Amino acid sequence: MTQTVAPPSVSSSSSSSVAASSATTQPLLKINEVDFAYGARQTLFGVNMGIAQREVTAFIGPSGCGKSTLLRCINRINDMIEGARITKGNITLGNVDINHPDLDVIALRRKVGMVFQKYNPFPRSIFENVAYGLEVAGMKNKKVIAETVERSLRSATLWEEVKDRLHESALGLSGGQQQRLCIARTLSVRPEVVLMDEPCAALDPIATAKIEELIHQLKKDYTIVIVTHNMEQAVRVSDKTAFFYLGKLIEFNNTMTLFSTPENEQTERYLSGRMG
Amino acid sequence: MNEDKPSPSSDFQGLIKPPSFFGLRVDRQSLIKHFFTGSAAVTILTLFLIMYSLLKEGTGFLPTYQFELKVYRQAGLEFCDFIQKPLTENTALLSKLNRAVNADTATLTQKAQARRDALFLAKGRIEEKTARLREAVTEALETAGTPPEKLAQARQALTEANATAVAEEAFPDVYNAEERRQIATDLTAMQPDAAEPPAILKTLSAEFTEQDRIAKEKYAGFLEAVEAFEEATEPIVELHDGIAELAKATKEAAVQQHMAEDAKAQLLAAAESAKTPEAKANFLKEAEATSLEAIDYKGKIEPIVAKLPEYEAMIPPYVAAIKAAMEKVPQKGDTKEATALINEVRKQLPKHLTHAEQSPALMKAWQWDKPIPLIQALTAFLFGGDWITNSSWQDFYGVVPLLTGSLLIAVIALVIALPLSVAAAIYTNQFATPREQELIKPFIEFIQAIPSVVLGFIGISVVGDLIKETSNIPWLQWIPGFPVQERLNMFNAGLLLALMAIPTMFSLAEDAIQNVPRAFSEASEALGATKLQTVFRVIFPASLSGVFAAMLLGLGRIVGETMVVLLVAGNRIAIPDFSDGIGTVFQPAHTLTGIIAQELGEVSKGSSHWQALFMVGILLFSISLFINFVSRKVVKRFQLPKI
Repeated sequence: MTQTVAPPSVSSSSSSSVAASSATTQPLLKINEVDFAYGARQTLFGVNMGIAQREVTAFIGPSGCGKSTLLRCINRINDMIEGARITKGNITLGNVDINHPDLDVIALRRKVGMVFQKYNPFPRSIFENVAYGLEVAGMKNKKVIAETVERSLRSATLWEEVKDRLHESALGLSGGQQQRLCIARTLSVRPEVVLMDEPCAALDPIATAKIEELIHQLKKDYTIVIVTHNMEQAVRVSDKTAFFYLGKLIEFNNTMTLFSTPENEQTERYLSGRMG
Repeated sequence: MNEDKPSPSSDFQGLIKPPSFFGLRVDRQSLIKHFFTGSAAVTILTLFLIMYSLLKEGTGFLPTYQFELKVYRQAGLEFCDFIQKPLTENTALLSKLNRAVNADTATLTQKAQARRDALFLAKGRIEEKTARLREAVTEALETAGTPPEKLAQARQALTEANATAVAEEAFPDVYNAEERRQIATDLTAMQPDAAEPPAILKTLSAEFTEQDRIAKEKYAGFLEAVEAFEEATEPIVELHDGIAELAKATKEAAVQQHMAEDAKAQLLAAAESAKTPEAKANFLKEAEATSLEAIDYKGKIEPIVAKLPEYEAMIPPYVAAIKAAMEKVPQKGDTKEATALINEVRKQLPKHLTHAEQSPALMKAWQWDKPIPLIQALTAFLFGGDWITNSSWQDFYGVVPLLTGSLLIAVIALVIALPLSVAAAIYTNQFATPREQELIKPFIEFIQAIPSVVLGFIGISVVGDLIKETSNIPWLQWIPGFPVQERLNMFNAGLLLALMAIPTMFSLAEDAIQNVPRAFSEASEALGATKLQTVFRVIFPASLSGVFAAMLLGLGRIVGETMVVLLVAGNRIAIPDFSDGIGTVFQPAHTLTGIIAQELGEVSKGSSHWQALFMVGILLFSISLFINFVSRKVVKRFQLPKI
């Protein structure tokens, strides 16, 4: 595989102010001047940022600002949509261009897991849901599968609740449990990065609190990127926050800094509720 | 109204609806609503009317059939059928033996016969071509005073025409060069007034006669055995025919009496509702006049039953004769066909002999006055193995042959249609490019537009021959049922019904796959599953209930289809012989739908046959209802979560 040389972490681009404070550590994910289009409609314009390892990065912004689109570019799940493609720039994961023509998309998706807005366990048993990722990877060893299922469910703080009914349908769980099951399913293949697309949007406050608690724990082992509409949530869970508006990255900074003293006027207006 | 300055009171007048529509307080909204309510009500009402009429016509069947079965027993027809059964078996075995003998003798006579027949055909064609000139010669001969030169001229013209026709004839290569020359000469010389047929024709005929004689001589033993086999039944047939005649006479009397009873009941009913006293008296007088002589079943059955000891005495000699005849049948035929037939006869013979030996015991146990309960009419209908109508002996309405035909054809169609339509649905929905989708969907749905009669044509003219020709390919003989005897069979019908069911099943299965939430495939791909893994491990399993419902609705269409099965299934009313295994599918059959379409137009209204067909309709209706019910249950039971 070709290794692309990492560009300077601080961009000179005027539109995107990239100001990651931890510039000392090499970021795991680098998004370099990315333009993205659905067919003829461009939705991302010169996005430029670096995402550090074992940190939680939150993407915020009004609906349709392109934050989910960028998230879906990182594991190339956008490939499933006809005509969707990156038109300029690139995204690198540990210095590997993820849109390289020889890239193994399947392997990429095992490295970059994803949790969706609406919990979507398969209509199968709890066990089968978590084991699915291993099964499709060709794992046959039953013992390894059972161990992995337990480890993943424990990581997702769901084990105690479901250990006695592993072989019942996953659809019998509550919404919050189903979403944690989906997280366990994602963790089962030991990804480096976990992408979360508004994971709490369909959950009640108690289930949301549990997921947020879980994100705190997962931070120790995983790099997490979370898209959220809930600004309190961004404050609660994330280390860094990126604010998007109309397909452009407006501001990217430590969460505390961004929320307390936004540099950009648009950010300030959005945070105070006068826009979006 | 004052437009410029409406008074406060007139502003609120509009709240009260004006009495529109002929003063009725019905506005347009409620009118439209009632129209739709009415339409729905009419639809439901129609359904109930259909069910009512089916039941009304059908339920009358049971007492009618009960009466017919009662007469069948009391008149002694049932008794006679105990004898008839071994006789029928004998006839079936005999026909197999005859076919075996013919197959063997044909080995010797075939060639001579072909040589003779080809020449006959050629002669006929030549005569046809030169018919006009032959006529001219005949006319010249018949007209007195025709100048000889004119006659010679006509003869010359005929000879020339003959020569041309002979030259055009392509003779098969069963003749050698010398024979060909002679054929040409003889056929060219044909004149209408020739006393003898062409010499070569005589030679060939003689050749055939000689070969036939040799064949008969060679297989004399076999032929004798077959003859002995046939003759063994003669005394039994004679006895059976004697008592059968008596039984039939009783039955006819019973039917007459039943009709008279009906007539009398009608007259009495008419008398009840008569308007004038005279009319009433007239009706009553007529009713009085109807003679209702009770039939003495007991007296009439006695001479029939009295023949039993005689019949019983006939059985041992019959069995001995059959066994002796079978001794003379060669162990092995000279042709494969003959050997196969002989083996079949040997296999079935023990069963036949047991039936013959057991029949007297059954007849002794039989009682002419054992009553037939109403439920027996129903079981005889549902589980009866014979559907025999317009018989001079006895009609039976047993639905099993039709039901097995219908179900077997449906299973064949389903086995073919299900994999095809589901695979096509998966491909179209998951793998095809939008361009391909645009092409495939209308094409498959277009199949539905083909009228079933037209499909029937295709079945008769194309598929039938195709099946038959394919089944004769030597290296395909390992397939059970090959070579196929009948062009029109259950497989043929099943194939076409599959084609008819595919659009329904494809569209519904495609919908089911389409309805699998996108979130499932996204989750699967995000976990590193390939497209194929996603389709077969997530999407297809999640769509299974929809696919199953698609299958059941397709099945409903298959079971209810009439035209194709009527034209293509072969219409043999018999329970298929399942000893062929999978090859059974190449046998002809009749169906529930086909029998109604075929027979309902020809039976007299209200007869037992008419009622029986309505019962078949009820059965068909119940099957469709059941299939529909199950498919609804399945869809409800396995509904997917809404994401």
